[in-house]
Amino acid sequence: MNLIECKKLTKKFDNKIILDNVNLKISQGKIIGLLGKNGTGKTTLIKLINDLLTPTTGEILIKGKKPGILSKEIVSYLPERTYLDKNMKVINIIKYFKKFYKNFDEQKALNLIKKLNLDVNQKLNKMSKGMQEKIQLILVMSRNAELYILDEPLGGVDPATRDYILDTILSNVNKTATVLISTHLISDVEKILDEVIFIDEGKIKLISPTDELREKERASIDEIFRRLFKC
Amino acid sequence: MLKKLLHYDLLYIYKYVGIFYILALIFSIISRIFISIDNSTIFNILGSFCGGLAVGMIISSLINAIIRSWQRFIKNIYKDEAYLTHTLPVSKRIIYASKVISSIICAFTTVLISIICLIICYYSKSTIETIKTLLELASNTLNVNVINLLLTIFFIFFLEIIFVILIGYVGIIIGHKYNQNKLTKSIIVSFVLYMLTQTITLIIIFITAIFNKDIMNLFKTVEVINFNIIKKIIILFIILYIVYNVIYYLIGEKLLNKGVNLD
Repeated sequence: MNLIECKKLTKKFDNKIILDNVNLKISQGKIIGLLGKNGTGKTTLIKLINDLLTPTTGEILIKGKKPGILSKEIVSYLPERTYLDKNMKVINIIKYFKKFYKNFDEQKALNLIKKLNLDVNQKLNKMSKGMQEKIQLILVMSRNAELYILDEPLGGVDPATRDYILDTILSNVNKTATVLISTHLISDVEKILDEVIFIDEGKIKLISPTDELREKERASIDEIFRRLFKC
Repeated sequence: MLKKLLHYDLLYIYKYVGIFYILALIFSIISRIFISIDNSTIFNILGSFCGGLAVGMIISSLINAIIRSWQRFIKNIYKDEAYLTHTLPVSKRIIYASKVISSIICAFTTVLISIICLIICYYSKSTIETIKTLLELASNTLNVNVINLLLTIFFIFFLEIIFVILIGYVGIIIGHKYNQNKLTKSIIVSFVLYMLTQTITLIIIFITAIFNKDIMNLFKTVEVINFNIIKKIIILFIILYIVYNVIYYLIGEKLLNKGVNLD
């Protein structure tokens, strides 16, 4: 069974088509890059999968079921913004995740935070934006989920932090889980991707295993992307 | 899950409303102490001043209880924190129930604290006698006992607060269905719904009046009102507000259950 299946998925905002008749199947155990320029529908697709938007037409199935309680139990989602209550202490946020997510590994989260030399009694609003994003990533990656959806995890961070983020993702995902990473910083992520999905103007332009695509085009994914979506 | 969500919702509301409760209680106690000091104009003035402050805090806690409930709702359901709320393995029904129940609990404690503060501030034999006389006069004319009359006043006030909060929730949900000016539209929708419901109430009373001459006199004359009629209207109001609250709760739940469109 496919982990995610989109059937004729369309999303409009005030008659403006953001996603246009998207058909997509994502299977288990892969790291997939959802690649596209800014404003091409990546975040909209991710929000639809996470039940944060309602489709205009078409449907999304996660393990054969519409987004709901069951899908939320297996999907761990990192949005492109800070979604935590900034007045909360890190330790209380960890407790919050433990209370609501059965698959949250508290010890893993504490260990990862310890590596950052962070005081768990510190409030989120006393931390830098970069640190808040790291905390958020740690919380998301501390869930033993079947699907990790990471929306622009590398956006607006320095190269050293990018390495930290990629390392955290790779070292905390089990082999059976799928990771869907949305980004426009292709050169930074292409080394870890098993498969790529190119999206442009709300349409899926290409789905391919990365090695196969590199071999066929005799170029890196970054170069192929630049060629395909030249302005 | 409802219990877990309630814990966080109540924590958020009481974190601020609780400050007003504490201030209201402190000012009430200080006022009481000052007023109980005999033969001192200064202490009497200070006592009255603190009593005024306590009343101010009571009003602030009431306004804050409502505003904080709406604020929490918007923040949790439609702003950045909504990305966490809607990805929790909890149904939208439970999320909505938690918001409403936390508001009801907060409204109840606010009314209760208000009564306690007023008793602390103004309790005296003569005040009690005056209130008792007034209540007895009202209870005799309405043919109910004093306790029932007090409970009815408390209950109507409580129902009215819940009604306002629920209208706000439904307005917010409808307002956020639009893609632009969501907050403005939420306020407009809430106001329209409030006015519409009050008009419906008036129409229902008028329809009832068609079948009851005494009630019709309320519309046609300025004669002294038959107190039995007031009693009937109070009962009608209570029933209507309970029905409205149930209807608005179900409308809000259904609309939210259809899904959200986050920015």
